[in-house]
Amino acid sequence: MIASALVRELRQIVGKENVLDSSVDLQLYKYDAYLEERRPDAVVFAHSTEEVAGVVKACNKFGVPFVPRGGGTNLSGGTIPFKGGVVIEMIRMNQILEVDRANLRARVQPGMFNLEFGNALAPLGYQYLPDPASQKAATLGGNVAENSGGPHCFKYGVTTNHVLGLTVVLPDGQVAKIGGKAPDVPGYDLTGVFVGSEGTFGICTEIVARIMHLPDGVKTLLAIYDSIEEGSETVSAIVAAGMVPATLEMMDQLVIQAVEESIHCGFPLDCATVLIIEVDGLKDDLEQQAKAITDLCRAHGAREVRVAKDDAERAALWAGRRGAFGAVARITPSYLVCDGTVPRTALPKVLRKVAEVGKKYNLQIPNVFHAGDGNLHPLILFDWRDAEQKARVMKAGMEILELCVQMGGTISGEHGVGLEKIDAMRLVHGEAEIRSQLRVKKAFDPRNLANPGKMFPIPEEVRHAA
Amino acid sequence: MQPEVDRLKRRLEEIVGKPHVSDGPAVAGFAVDGVSPALLVHPASQEEVSSVVTACGEAGAAIIPWGGGTAMGLGNRPARADVAVVLDRLNRIVEFDAANLNVSVEAGMRLADLEVELGKQRQFLPIDPPAEGKATVGGILAANGSGPCRLLYGTARDWVLGMRVVLPNGQRIRCGGKVIKNVSGYDMNKLFIGSLGTLGIISEATFKLLPLPAVRASVAGVFAELGQAAGAVAKVLDSVLLPEAMELLGLDAVTLLGPTLGLDATGYGLVVSFAGSRETVERQVRDFTGLFRDAKARVTTAVSDERTAPAWKTVRNVFDLLPGPPPERITCKIGVLISRTADLLAAAESLGRRHRLRGAVTAHAGSGVVRACYLLGPEAPPVEVLASGLEELRREAEKAEGSLVLQGAPVALKAHLDAWGKPGGAFDVMRRLKADFDPRGLCNPGRFLGGI
Repeated sequence: MIASALVRELRQIVGKENVLDSSVDLQLYKYDAYLEERRPDAVVFAHSTEEVAGVVKACNKFGVPFVPRGGGTNLSGGTIPFKGGVVIEMIRMNQILEVDRANLRARVQPGMFNLEFGNALAPLGYQYLPDPASQKAATLGGNVAENSGGPHCFKYGVTTNHVLGLTVVLPDGQVAKIGGKAPDVPGYDLTGVFVGSEGTFGICTEIVARIMHLPDGVKTLLAIYDSIEEGSETVSAIVAAGMVPATLEMMDQLVIQAVEESIHCGFPLDCATVLIIEVDGLKDDLEQQAKAITDLCRAHGAREVRVAKDDAERAALWAGRRGAFGAVARITPSYLVCDGTVPRTALPKVLRKVAEVGKKYNLQIPNVFHAGDGNLHPLILFDWRDAEQKARVMKAGMEILELCVQMGGTISGEHGVGLEKIDAMRLVHGEAEIRSQLRVKKAFDPRNLANPGKMFPIPEEVRHAA
Repeated sequence: MQPEVDRLKRRLEEIVGKPHVSDGPAVAGFAVDGVSPALLVHPASQEEVSSVVTACGEAGAAIIPWGGGTAMGLGNRPARADVAVVLDRLNRIVEFDAANLNVSVEAGMRLADLEVELGKQRQFLPIDPPAEGKATVGGILAANGSGPCRLLYGTARDWVLGMRVVLPNGQRIRCGGKVIKNVSGYDMNKLFIGSLGTLGIISEATFKLLPLPAVRASVAGVFAELGQAAGAVAKVLDSVLLPEAMELLGLDAVTLLGPTLGLDATGYGLVVSFAGSRETVERQVRDFTGLFRDAKARVTTAVSDERTAPAWKTVRNVFDLLPGPPPERITCKIGVLISRTADLLAAAESLGRRHRLRGAVTAHAGSGVVRACYLLGPEAPPVEVLASGLEELRREAEKAEGSLVLQGAPVALKAHLDAWGKPGGAFDVMRRLKADFDPRGLCNPGRFLGGI
């Protein structure tokens, strides 16, 4: 429990109505979209950089940890206050501060939902490209913390490629501007390091985002296959042909069935996989690109290729993809989303192996994957009330990550390490790598108050000494 | 001192072999701002780099990592230099995985050589800093080199998937990996890109690649007024058009580049490049020709596919067309708000005019980067005067939310003007990073921001 003196101080900083510390309220902030739970000691709603700085300073005074929270959609436990302390809820800092078209930048607060930001830019003719599937409920600040990806990152990159500056409250409560609207700010690229630091380097309170003009044209295709291999071979063929589609998304039969049941977007129930391909850019060659891709799909065994005729058809296809996790949630009490990544050409092989893991542990594992960038999301279905089942799920999840690493990939493409993958970190990092990352942590947060207990296994030496 | 140098020399010879360590006259070309290392060492493997760094650490010797030596003027005068670690023997492709659009390459490979190999599979790495024939992959990353085509493709930070780095304590680490999306731990690549070797030596890098475009073409024009060219740029940025690069040329640059680009006129220049399918490139050539006409260009020419690559090579290396050996010039890079690029180009030109310096100014329009080069002849004003002129230009840049960085200047000038300007936000964090990674300050000491 934290001192009541701290709670009093927090109330002075943000106002009485913006601090929660009743047992019922705290229950609501003990979880995110991962499977663990831990209750915070207090929840604070912040409305300005100054308030965040004040709250962080107060936490420092009392030596209490703090954890920033946005939409709470994190899939790896990043927002769970593992060591207790204060959850700083950023959701009310949700304004666009500036859309600076002449400089192709926007300044935006971290509590704004990703989709809301996109919706505000679109009428002006602009877009912000990182588009995680959770964009309806995930905040931009959370995207920064997790370096979120999304379907468009094969062509356009991930959050780090579109965030050029930040205002941050450092873990000691100091406010700093890092990066900015202008290019190549002298010094170390702290913005680049901060993005993806999962709340362990402090809290960003303002984001300088790159905005881009909406494309001249977009074409969206749906290819339907009777085998997953054919689908993933098509993906490799498209890339080998020198094309760079904006997205290459696949899902397997179980997911398709779940999606159809909940959203009805016209995916055939009896196919093995669908591949959603989108090309964008100047209109002049899109027709031709769509034709070339259609031919490649057919040549690789697609039984049908549909081209979305209008925005409504395109929206339906995307609703299916974006709604996939939600649709699966309807058919199972709970699921563990794996987030392994492999070099794209290893996808067919890793998918076969994932199926074997499912058989071995007697678990159902439907699959959604960003085929263009080799990021797969096997969803391991189970019932959280069954402890034995949960243990099996965790083992299966770990085995899938091991497979990804063996094939030259890694343990997380976009969901982060959080609590979930602390043990898996040793699959990809040796002692020197972990130590060097902890050095960076120490440079930002010498007192280890910002989201402690996340991401890193304890270094070997310390473990042995303990 | 000499006995210690001799001892270190012998130790380094044990590591890399006698022929790959030198002292004496050989080090003359490796002085940085007049600070000359005592030894040169040329490791040939990751292990050797690590052993060399460890040995230097044990001897308390300060090291300067050395790639192609094209960015050695960047930053402040080194506080010390004992050993130049030259990476020219680390020049191999480790793995070119064309099917997955990535390549892993040793840090000492020259960019131009890498591009030749990638081109054989019709792929390329879209980073185009100047001196690509000499600049190495590791050096480009350490100095965060970039060029005109950052407009469409971004910079090194957007293309690096992974790296191997030898830390100041000699430990070898891997950052990132081979996959496009990777959030397994902190994004350590970003820490080393642009860190100028102050946190360790980048020894290998894995890049994401792009398929080569089917066609390239360019359009170039000359305008009577800078404002006309800048207006055209602003129009493009507010359109769906997707040029690869847009280079704004000052008056002197137009004169220098006129023959290359087929521009027989004086004024301000704008040269734009397109890459993609024949259809999209032809459309952009058409649209831009119209746009140039509307902006009242004096002359407009189209540059064909075959001529585009060589023309851009000359454009990015335009300062090489200026006479005079490198030490007698100042080069600087100004990074500002995109919309203020032309203003800073004008300010940089006016600084040259005021002091009657020959030179050239160009800008990556649409990216907010202005590059200026001034030749310092015998008539040049004293360094104090130049320094205060540059200081004024830096203030202009800062008003446009930007910075001015010296990429090369006489030592005497550097004594009067910090190469980077005042450190900005979170400098304490940067200092702690340096102290944690390199507690004894042995990696490129003194050259970076704020004395790091």
